[in-house]
Amino acid sequence: MSTDVMSTDVAVTGLGLVTPAGIGAAANWAAVCAGRSTADRDPALAGQLVDISCRVPGFDPVALLGPRPARRLDRFVQFAVVALREALRDAGLDAPGAAGGARVGVVVGCADGGPSTVEVQHRTLLERSPDQVSALLLPMQLPNMLAGQLSIECGATGPSMVVATACASGTTAIGLARDLLLAHRCDVVITGGSEAMVTPLVMAGFSQMKALSRRTAQPRSASRPFDRDRDGFVAGEGAGILVLERIGDAAARGVRVRARIAGFGASADAHHVTAPDPDGRGAEQAIRAALADAGRAGTDVDHVNAHGTGTPSNDVVESRVLHRTVGERALVTSTKGVTGHLFGAAGAVEAAYTVLALEEQLVPPTANLDEPDPQVRVPVAQKPTPLRMSTALTTSFGFGGQNAALVVSAA
Amino acid sequence: MFDELKQILVTSFQADPTEVTPDARLQDLGLDSLDMVELSLVLKSEWGVAISDDELIEYQQVGAVVAAVESRTARL
Repeated sequence: MSTDVMSTDVAVTGLGLVTPAGIGAAANWAAVCAGRSTADRDPALAGQLVDISCRVPGFDPVALLGPRPARRLDRFVQFAVVALREALRDAGLDAPGAAGGARVGVVVGCADGGPSTVEVQHRTLLERSPDQVSALLLPMQLPNMLAGQLSIECGATGPSMVVATACASGTTAIGLARDLLLAHRCDVVITGGSEAMVTPLVMAGFSQMKALSRRTAQPRSASRPFDRDRDGFVAGEGAGILVLERIGDAAARGVRVRARIAGFGASADAHHVTAPDPDGRGAEQAIRAALADAGRAGTDVDHVNAHGTGTPSNDVVESRVLHRTVGERALVTSTKGVTGHLFGAAGAVEAAYTVLALEEQLVPPTANLDEPDPQVRVPVAQKPTPLRMSTALTTSFGFGGQNAALVVSAA
Repeated sequence: MFDELKQILVTSFQADPTEVTPDARLQDLGLDSLDMVELSLVLKSEWGVAISDDELIEYQQVGAVVAAVESRTARL
Protein backbone atom coordinates (compact mmCIF):
# COMPACT_ATOMS: atom_id res chain seq x y z
CA MET A 1 0.00 0.00 0.00
CA SER A 2 1.80 3.10 -1.21
CA THR A 3 0.03 5.39 1.27
CA ASP A 4 1.44 3.29 4.10
CA VAL A 5 4.98 3.52 2.78
CA MET A 6 4.71 7.32 2.79
CA SER A 7 2.87 7.43 6.10
CA THR A 8 4.18 9.33 9.09
CA ASP A 9 2.29 6.87 11.28
CA VAL A 10 4.30 4.26 13.12
CA ALA A 11 2.95 0.87 14.09
CA VAL A 12 2.50 -0.38 17.62
CA THR A 13 3.35 -4.08 17.24
CA GLY A 14 3.86 -5.08 20.87
CA LEU A 15 2.51 -4.17 24.31
CA GLY A 16 3.63 -5.14 27.80
CA LEU A 17 2.09 -3.92 31.06
CA VAL A 18 2.98 -4.24 34.73
CA THR A 19 0.67 -1.97 36.75
CA PRO A 20 -1.52 -1.94 39.86
CA ALA A 21 -4.26 -3.23 37.53
CA GLY A 22 -2.24 -6.41 36.97
CA ILE A 23 0.69 -8.06 35.22
CA GLY A 24 0.07 -8.47 31.50
CA ALA A 25 -2.07 -6.54 29.01
CA ALA A 26 -5.07 -8.87 29.29
CA ALA A 27 -5.25 -8.62 33.08
CA ASN A 28 -4.85 -4.87 32.83
CA TRP A 29 -7.65 -4.42 30.34
CA ALA A 30 -10.06 -6.53 32.38
CA ALA A 31 -9.30 -4.58 35.57
CA VAL A 32 -9.43 -1.17 33.91
CA CYS A 33 -12.78 -1.95 32.29
CA ALA A 34 -14.12 -3.23 35.62
CA GLY A 35 -13.47 0.29 36.91
CA ARG A 36 -12.49 -0.66 40.45
CA SER A 37 -9.79 1.36 42.11
CA THR A 38 -6.64 -0.50 43.17
CA ALA A 39 -5.71 1.95 45.94
CA ASP A 40 -5.11 0.46 49.37
CA ARG A 41 -3.30 0.97 52.66
CA ASP A 42 0.45 0.70 52.13
CA PRO A 43 2.49 -0.80 55.00
CA ALA A 44 5.63 0.91 53.58
CA LEU A 45 3.96 4.26 54.33
CA ALA A 46 2.79 3.42 57.84
CA GLY A 47 2.84 6.46 60.10
CA GLN A 48 2.66 8.98 57.24
CA LEU A 49 -0.18 11.45 56.83
CA VAL A 50 -0.98 9.78 53.49
CA ASP A 51 -0.50 6.03 53.83
CA ILE A 52 -2.29 4.77 50.70
CA SER A 53 -0.98 3.85 47.26
CA CYS A 54 -1.59 1.62 44.26
CA ARG A 55 0.89 -1.27 44.19
CA VAL A 56 1.49 -3.89 41.49
CA PRO A 57 -0.29 -6.98 42.86
CA GLY A 58 1.76 -10.15 43.28
CA PHE A 59 4.99 -8.76 41.81
CA ASP A 60 7.57 -11.34 42.89
CA PRO A 61 10.90 -10.39 41.29
CA VAL A 62 12.59 -13.68 42.23
CA ALA A 63 9.83 -15.72 40.59
CA LEU A 64 9.48 -13.42 37.56
CA LEU A 65 13.12 -12.62 36.87
CA GLY A 66 15.30 -14.95 38.95
CA PRO A 67 17.30 -14.26 42.12
CA ARG A 68 20.22 -12.41 40.54
CA PRO A 69 18.19 -9.70 38.70
CA ALA A 70 15.96 -9.52 41.78
CA ARG A 71 19.04 -8.57 43.81
CA ARG A 72 20.83 -6.35 41.29
CA LEU A 73 18.01 -4.39 39.58
CA ASP A 74 15.98 -1.66 41.24
CA ARG A 75 12.23 -2.19 41.23
CA PHE A 76 11.68 0.36 38.43
CA VAL A 77 13.94 -1.66 36.13
CA GLN A 78 12.42 -4.98 37.25
CA PHE A 79 8.93 -3.77 36.22
CA ALA A 80 10.23 -2.71 32.82
CA VAL A 81 12.05 -5.99 32.12
CA VAL A 82 8.88 -7.99 32.82
CA ALA A 83 6.85 -5.64 30.60
CA LEU A 84 9.53 -5.77 27.89
CA ARG A 85 9.40 -9.57 27.70
CA GLU A 86 5.64 -9.46 27.22
CA ALA A 87 5.93 -6.75 24.56
CA LEU A 88 8.61 -8.67 22.63
CA ARG A 89 6.49 -11.85 22.68
CA ASP A 90 3.52 -9.83 21.48
CA ALA A 91 5.58 -8.36 18.63
CA GLY A 92 7.01 -11.76 17.65
CA LEU A 93 10.50 -10.51 18.53
CA ASP A 94 11.17 -12.76 21.52
CA ALA A 95 13.57 -15.18 19.80
CA PRO A 96 17.16 -14.59 20.98
CA GLY A 97 18.62 -11.66 19.04
CA ALA A 98 15.36 -10.87 17.24
CA ALA A 99 15.24 -7.41 18.83
CA GLY A 100 19.02 -6.97 18.78
CA GLY A 101 21.57 -5.09 16.74
CA ALA A 102 22.40 -1.54 15.76
CA ARG A 103 19.00 -0.73 14.23
CA VAL A 104 17.07 -1.32 17.46
CA GLY A 105 16.77 1.64 19.84
CA VAL A 106 15.41 2.10 23.36
CA VAL A 107 13.71 5.33 24.44
CA VAL A 108 11.93 5.08 27.77
CA GLY A 109 10.62 7.55 30.31
CA CYS A 110 11.15 7.74 34.03
CA ALA A 111 10.75 10.55 36.54
CA ASP A 112 12.90 9.47 39.45
CA GLY A 113 15.08 6.39 38.84
CA GLY A 114 15.46 4.21 41.92
CA PRO A 115 14.77 6.23 45.07
CA SER A 116 14.18 3.11 47.19
CA THR A 117 17.77 2.00 46.57
CA VAL A 118 19.00 5.50 47.45
CA GLU A 119 16.99 5.55 50.68
CA VAL A 120 18.31 2.15 51.83
CA GLN A 121 21.93 3.01 51.04
CA HIS A 122 21.64 6.46 52.59
CA ARG A 123 20.61 4.76 55.82
CA THR A 124 23.73 2.57 55.55
CA LEU A 125 25.86 5.70 55.07
CA LEU A 126 24.40 7.43 58.14
CA GLU A 127 24.05 4.45 60.47
CA ARG A 128 27.18 2.51 59.51
CA SER A 129 29.88 4.04 57.34
CA PRO A 130 30.69 5.16 53.80
CA ASP A 131 32.72 2.01 53.21
CA GLN A 132 29.63 -0.14 53.78
CA VAL A 133 27.65 1.52 50.97
CA SER A 134 26.85 -0.91 48.16
CA ALA A 135 28.77 -0.78 44.90
CA LEU A 136 25.40 -1.44 43.27
CA LEU A 137 23.99 1.90 44.48
CA LEU A 138 24.60 3.78 41.24
CA PRO A 139 24.02 0.95 38.75
CA MET A 140 20.70 0.31 40.48
CA GLN A 141 19.39 3.84 40.96
CA LEU A 142 20.51 5.93 37.98
CA PRO A 143 17.46 6.69 35.83
CA ASN A 144 19.25 5.81 32.56
CA MET A 145 19.81 2.23 33.78
CA LEU A 146 16.21 1.64 32.73
CA ALA A 147 17.17 2.05 29.08
CA GLY A 148 20.57 0.43 29.62
CA GLN A 149 19.05 -2.75 31.03
CA LEU A 150 16.41 -3.00 28.29
CA SER A 151 19.20 -2.68 25.69
CA ILE A 152 21.09 -5.47 27.46
CA GLU A 153 17.94 -7.63 27.53
CA CYS A 154 17.43 -7.18 23.78
CA GLY A 155 21.06 -7.06 22.68
CA ALA A 156 20.00 -3.77 21.11
CA THR A 157 22.99 -1.56 20.30
CA GLY A 158 21.12 1.38 18.74
CA PRO A 159 20.44 4.67 20.56
CA SER A 160 19.43 4.03 24.17
CA MET A 161 18.18 6.73 26.52
CA VAL A 162 15.83 7.77 29.25
CA VAL A 163 13.79 10.93 28.91
CA ALA A 164 12.62 12.74 32.01
CA THR A 165 9.64 15.09 31.79
CA ALA A 166 8.23 14.04 35.18
CA CYS A 167 4.68 12.73 34.78
CA ALA A 168 4.84 13.23 31.00
CA SER A 169 7.96 11.07 30.59
CA GLY A 170 6.24 7.99 29.13
CA THR A 171 4.34 10.03 26.56
CA THR A 172 7.40 12.06 25.61
CA ALA A 173 9.41 8.84 25.19
CA ILE A 174 6.86 7.36 22.78
CA GLY A 175 6.83 10.57 20.73
CA LEU A 176 10.63 10.65 20.52
CA ALA A 177 10.71 6.93 19.67
CA ARG A 178 8.41 7.66 16.74
CA ASP A 179 10.70 10.48 15.64
CA LEU A 180 13.71 8.10 15.62
CA LEU A 181 11.78 5.73 13.35
CA LEU A 182 10.58 8.48 11.01
CA ALA A 183 14.15 9.82 10.79
CA HIS A 184 15.25 6.26 9.84
CA ARG A 185 17.78 6.20 12.66
CA CYS A 186 16.24 2.94 13.90
CA ASP A 187 14.04 0.17 12.47
CA VAL A 188 12.56 -0.91 15.81
CA VAL A 189 12.28 1.19 18.97
CA ILE A 190 11.42 -0.19 22.39
CA THR A 191 9.61 2.59 24.21
CA GLY A 192 7.36 3.38 27.16
CA GLY A 193 8.10 4.17 30.77
CA SER A 194 8.63 2.71 34.21
CA GLU A 195 8.47 4.03 37.75
CA ALA A 196 8.85 2.78 41.32
CA MET A 197 8.88 5.92 43.44
CA VAL A 198 6.33 5.01 46.10
CA THR A 199 8.92 5.25 48.88
CA PRO A 200 8.67 6.84 52.33
CA LEU A 201 10.83 9.83 51.42
CA VAL A 202 9.24 10.56 48.04
CA MET A 203 5.74 10.19 49.41
CA ALA A 204 6.51 12.50 52.31
CA GLY A 205 7.58 15.06 49.72
CA PHE A 206 4.40 14.68 47.69
CA SER A 207 2.35 14.92 50.85
CA GLN A 208 4.05 18.18 51.80
CA MET A 209 3.15 19.55 48.36
CA LYS A 210 -0.54 18.82 49.13
CA ALA A 211 -0.73 16.88 45.87
CA LEU A 212 -2.04 13.60 47.32
CA SER A 213 -5.59 12.60 48.15
CA ARG A 214 -6.08 12.52 51.91
CA ARG A 215 -9.07 10.22 51.73
CA THR A 216 -7.02 7.61 53.57
CA ALA A 217 -9.97 6.20 55.50
CA GLN A 218 -11.54 5.07 52.19
CA PRO A 219 -8.59 4.17 49.95
CA ARG A 220 -10.79 2.67 47.21
CA SER A 221 -12.57 5.95 46.63
CA ALA A 222 -9.52 8.21 46.95
CA SER A 223 -8.56 8.38 43.25
CA ARG A 224 -11.58 10.08 41.60
CA PRO A 225 -10.61 12.02 38.48
CA PHE A 226 -13.12 14.64 37.26
CA ASP A 227 -15.39 13.97 40.26
CA ARG A 228 -16.74 16.90 42.25
CA ASP A 229 -15.23 15.54 45.47
CA ARG A 230 -11.72 14.75 44.20
CA ASP A 231 -8.93 15.97 46.47
CA GLY A 232 -5.66 14.85 44.90
CA PHE A 233 -3.99 11.89 43.25
CA VAL A 234 -3.04 8.47 44.60
CA ALA A 235 0.52 7.38 43.85
CA GLY A 236 1.10 4.21 41.87
CA GLU A 237 3.93 2.20 40.35
CA GLY A 238 4.52 0.10 37.27
CA ALA A 239 5.68 0.00 33.67
CA GLY A 240 4.30 0.11 30.16
CA ILE A 241 6.46 -0.98 27.23
CA LEU A 242 5.54 -0.65 23.54
CA VAL A 243 7.33 -1.95 20.46
CA LEU A 244 7.20 0.54 17.57
CA GLU A 245 8.13 0.02 13.93
CA ARG A 246 7.48 1.83 10.66
CA ILE A 247 4.23 0.65 9.07
CA GLY A 248 6.01 -0.72 5.99
CA ASP A 249 8.45 -2.77 8.07
CA ALA A 250 5.66 -4.21 10.20
CA ALA A 251 3.77 -5.16 7.03
CA ALA A 252 6.91 -6.76 5.55
CA ARG A 253 7.37 -8.79 8.74
CA GLY A 254 3.74 -9.83 8.59
CA VAL A 255 3.19 -8.85 12.21
CA ARG A 256 -0.11 -7.62 13.58
CA VAL A 257 -0.34 -3.82 13.82
CA ARG A 258 -2.29 -3.14 17.01
CA ALA A 259 -2.64 0.60 16.43
CA ARG A 260 -0.72 3.52 15.00
CA ILE A 261 1.02 6.43 16.68
CA ALA A 262 -0.10 9.14 14.26
CA GLY A 263 1.01 12.36 15.91
CA PHE A 264 3.10 13.79 18.73
CA GLY A 265 3.21 17.20 20.33
CA ALA A 266 5.33 18.49 23.21
CA SER A 267 5.52 21.85 24.91
CA ALA A 268 6.55 23.71 28.04
CA ASP A 269 4.31 25.98 30.09
CA ALA A 270 7.30 28.21 30.95
CA HIS A 271 5.18 29.31 33.87
CA HIS A 272 5.85 27.62 37.25
CA VAL A 273 7.67 24.52 38.55
CA THR A 274 4.52 22.74 39.71
CA ALA A 275 1.38 24.82 39.11
CA PRO A 276 -0.05 24.37 35.63
CA ASP A 277 -0.60 27.46 33.52
CA PRO A 278 -4.05 28.58 34.76
CA ASP A 279 -5.36 28.72 31.19
CA GLY A 280 -3.65 25.48 30.16
CA ARG A 281 -1.89 27.19 27.28
CA GLY A 282 1.07 24.80 27.31
CA ALA A 283 -1.21 21.76 27.34
CA GLU A 284 -3.25 23.24 24.51
CA GLN A 285 -0.12 23.87 22.46
CA ALA A 286 0.99 20.24 22.88
CA ILE A 287 -2.44 18.88 21.88
CA ARG A 288 -2.70 21.17 18.86
CA ALA A 289 0.83 20.19 17.79
CA ALA A 290 -0.03 16.48 18.05
CA LEU A 291 -3.23 16.96 16.01
CA ALA A 292 -1.38 18.97 13.35
CA ASP A 293 1.37 16.34 13.23
CA ALA A 294 -1.28 13.68 12.63
CA GLY A 295 -3.12 15.79 10.07
CA ARG A 296 -6.29 15.59 12.16
CA ALA A 297 -8.79 18.20 13.29
CA GLY A 298 -9.82 18.30 16.93
CA THR A 299 -13.29 17.21 15.88
CA ASP A 300 -11.81 14.00 14.40
CA VAL A 301 -10.96 12.79 17.91
CA ASP A 302 -13.35 10.10 19.18
CA HIS A 303 -11.77 9.32 22.56
CA VAL A 304 -9.31 10.89 24.99
CA ASN A 305 -7.36 9.05 27.68
CA ALA A 306 -6.75 12.15 29.74
CA HIS A 307 -3.97 12.98 32.16
CA GLY A 308 -6.86 13.31 34.68
CA THR A 309 -4.89 13.01 37.91
CA GLY A 310 -7.74 13.81 40.28
CA THR A 311 -6.12 16.94 41.66
CA PRO A 312 -8.56 19.84 41.96
CA SER A 313 -6.62 22.06 39.54
CA ASN A 314 -5.49 19.59 36.87
CA ASP A 315 -8.88 18.19 35.99
CA VAL A 316 -10.66 21.53 35.54
CA VAL A 317 -7.84 23.11 33.55
CA GLU A 318 -7.45 19.97 31.43
CA SER A 319 -11.19 19.74 30.72
CA ARG A 320 -11.20 23.37 29.52
CA VAL A 321 -8.24 22.65 27.25
CA LEU A 322 -9.97 19.56 25.85
CA HIS A 323 -13.15 21.57 25.31
CA ARG A 324 -11.18 24.14 23.30
CA THR A 325 -9.17 21.61 21.28
CA VAL A 326 -11.40 18.58 20.63
CA GLY A 327 -14.83 19.89 21.64
CA GLU A 328 -17.66 17.97 23.24
CA ARG A 329 -17.86 14.91 21.00
CA ALA A 330 -14.86 12.88 22.17
CA LEU A 331 -15.53 10.59 25.12
CA VAL A 332 -12.92 11.26 27.80
CA THR A 333 -11.69 8.84 30.45
CA SER A 334 -9.04 8.82 33.15
CA THR A 335 -7.76 5.34 33.93
CA LYS A 336 -5.93 6.82 36.94
CA GLY A 337 -9.14 6.19 38.87
CA VAL A 338 -8.15 2.50 38.70
CA THR A 339 -4.34 2.60 38.59
CA GLY A 340 -3.46 5.73 40.51
CA HIS A 341 -0.75 7.99 39.11
CA LEU A 342 2.22 6.07 37.73
CA PHE A 343 4.34 9.23 37.23
CA GLY A 344 6.91 8.61 34.49
CA ALA A 345 5.16 5.38 33.49
CA ALA A 346 1.68 6.94 33.37
CA GLY A 347 1.83 8.16 29.78
CA ALA A 348 3.14 4.84 28.50
CA VAL A 349 0.53 2.80 30.35
CA GLU A 350 -2.24 5.15 29.20
CA ALA A 351 -1.01 5.00 25.59
CA ALA A 352 -1.24 1.21 25.86
CA TYR A 353 -4.80 1.49 27.24
CA THR A 354 -5.62 3.80 24.32
CA VAL A 355 -4.36 1.14 21.89
CA LEU A 356 -6.55 -1.45 23.65
CA ALA A 357 -9.57 0.89 23.61
CA LEU A 358 -9.21 1.33 19.83
CA GLU A 359 -8.82 -2.42 19.31
CA GLU A 360 -11.80 -3.29 21.48
CA GLN A 361 -13.85 -0.23 20.42
CA LEU A 362 -14.57 0.26 24.10
CA VAL A 363 -13.89 3.29 26.30
CA PRO A 364 -12.92 2.21 29.83
CA PRO A 365 -14.67 3.97 32.72
CA THR A 366 -13.28 6.56 35.12
CA ALA A 367 -13.40 4.82 38.50
CA ASN A 368 -15.11 6.72 41.33
CA LEU A 369 -16.63 9.31 39.00
CA ASP A 370 -19.90 9.44 40.92
CA GLU A 371 -20.77 13.09 40.40
CA PRO A 372 -18.90 14.90 37.63
CA ASP A 373 -17.55 18.31 38.57
CA PRO A 374 -19.97 20.84 37.03
CA GLN A 375 -16.96 22.82 35.84
CA VAL A 376 -15.98 19.88 33.60
CA ARG A 377 -17.72 20.52 30.29
CA VAL A 378 -16.51 17.52 28.31
CA PRO A 379 -18.19 14.10 28.50
CA VAL A 380 -16.30 11.70 30.79
CA ALA A 381 -17.06 7.96 30.76
CA GLN A 382 -18.58 6.71 34.02
CA LYS A 383 -19.06 3.15 32.76
CA PRO A 384 -17.42 1.02 30.05
CA THR A 385 -18.80 2.47 26.83
CA PRO A 386 -18.75 0.74 23.43
CA LEU A 387 -17.92 3.36 20.80
CA ARG A 388 -16.98 3.42 17.12
CA MET A 389 -13.52 4.97 17.24
CA SER A 390 -10.77 5.56 14.74
CA THR A 391 -8.84 8.42 16.35
CA ALA A 392 -7.86 8.88 19.98
CA LEU A 393 -5.75 11.31 21.95
CA THR A 394 -3.76 10.77 25.12
CA THR A 395 -2.30 13.58 27.22
CA SER A 396 0.33 13.90 29.94
CA PHE A 397 1.46 16.95 31.88
CA GLY A 398 4.52 16.94 34.13
CA PHE A 399 5.88 18.99 36.98
CA GLY A 400 8.21 21.47 35.37
CA GLY A 401 5.36 22.48 33.07
CA GLN A 402 6.32 19.82 30.54
CA ASN A 403 3.45 18.61 28.38
CA ALA A 404 3.09 15.85 25.81
CA ALA A 405 0.24 14.51 23.68
CA LEU A 406 -0.07 11.62 21.27
CA VAL A 407 -2.64 10.94 18.57
CA VAL A 408 -3.26 7.20 18.35
CA SER A 409 -5.28 5.77 15.49
CA ALA A 410 -6.86 2.39 14.87
CA ALA A 411 -4.79 -0.06 12.82
CA MET B 1 35.23 -21.69 56.93
CA PHE B 2 34.71 -23.06 53.41
CA ASP B 3 31.16 -24.09 54.29
CA GLU B 4 30.35 -20.63 55.63
CA LEU B 5 31.74 -18.90 52.55
CA LYS B 6 29.87 -21.34 50.32
CA GLN B 7 26.68 -20.45 52.17
CA ILE B 8 27.26 -16.74 51.46
CA LEU B 9 28.04 -17.34 47.80
CA VAL B 10 24.89 -19.41 47.37
CA THR B 11 22.40 -17.31 49.35
CA SER B 12 23.69 -13.79 48.71
CA PHE B 13 25.25 -14.17 45.26
CA GLN B 14 23.05 -16.89 43.77
CA ALA B 15 26.00 -19.21 43.02
CA ASP B 16 25.05 -22.77 42.05
CA PRO B 17 25.84 -24.86 45.17
CA THR B 18 27.09 -27.77 43.07
CA GLU B 19 29.68 -25.49 41.45
CA VAL B 20 31.07 -23.99 44.67
CA THR B 21 34.29 -25.95 45.28
CA PRO B 22 37.67 -24.77 46.61
CA ASP B 23 38.96 -24.70 43.02
CA ALA B 24 36.01 -22.72 41.61
CA ARG B 25 36.80 -19.22 40.38
CA LEU B 26 34.56 -16.47 41.79
CA GLN B 27 34.11 -15.10 38.28
CA ASP B 28 32.90 -18.47 37.01
CA LEU B 29 30.35 -18.54 39.84
CA GLY B 30 28.81 -15.39 38.33
CA LEU B 31 30.45 -12.68 40.44
CA ASP B 32 31.44 -9.57 38.49
CA SER B 33 33.54 -6.64 39.69
CA LEU B 34 30.55 -5.06 41.47
CA ASP B 35 29.87 -8.33 43.28
CA MET B 36 33.52 -8.46 44.39
CA VAL B 37 32.90 -5.19 46.25
CA GLU B 38 29.67 -6.59 47.66
CA LEU B 39 31.46 -9.77 48.84
CA SER B 40 34.17 -7.64 50.43
CA LEU B 41 31.43 -5.75 52.34
CA VAL B 42 29.82 -9.00 53.49
CA LEU B 43 33.16 -10.40 54.73
CA LYS B 44 33.70 -7.19 56.67
CA SER B 45 30.23 -6.95 58.18
CA GLU B 46 29.67 -10.68 58.86
CA TRP B 47 33.16 -11.73 59.97
CA GLY B 48 34.99 -8.48 60.56
CA VAL B 49 37.64 -9.44 58.00
CA ALA B 50 39.01 -6.74 55.70
CA ILE B 51 39.69 -8.18 52.26
CA SER B 52 39.41 -5.66 49.44
CA ASP B 53 37.67 -6.34 46.16
CA ASP B 54 41.03 -6.08 44.40
CA GLU B 55 42.39 -8.83 46.64
CA LEU B 56 39.35 -10.99 45.93
CA ILE B 57 39.90 -10.56 42.20
CA GLU B 58 43.56 -11.51 42.70
CA TYR B 59 42.76 -14.63 44.75
CA GLN B 60 40.33 -15.78 42.03
CA GLN B 61 39.48 -19.12 43.67
CA VAL B 62 37.16 -19.85 46.56
CA GLY B 63 39.88 -21.83 48.35
CA ALA B 64 42.29 -18.89 48.24
CA VAL B 65 39.66 -16.60 49.74
CA VAL B 66 39.05 -19.14 52.53
CA ALA B 67 42.81 -19.27 53.22
CA ALA B 68 43.02 -15.46 53.37
CA VAL B 69 40.04 -15.24 55.71
CA GLU B 70 41.51 -17.93 57.98
CA SER B 71 44.96 -16.33 58.13
CA ARG B 72 43.54 -12.85 58.85
CA THR B 73 41.13 -14.18 61.47
CA ALA B 74 44.04 -16.04 63.14
CA ARG B 75 46.05 -12.83 63.32
CA LEU B 76 43.30 -11.02 65.22
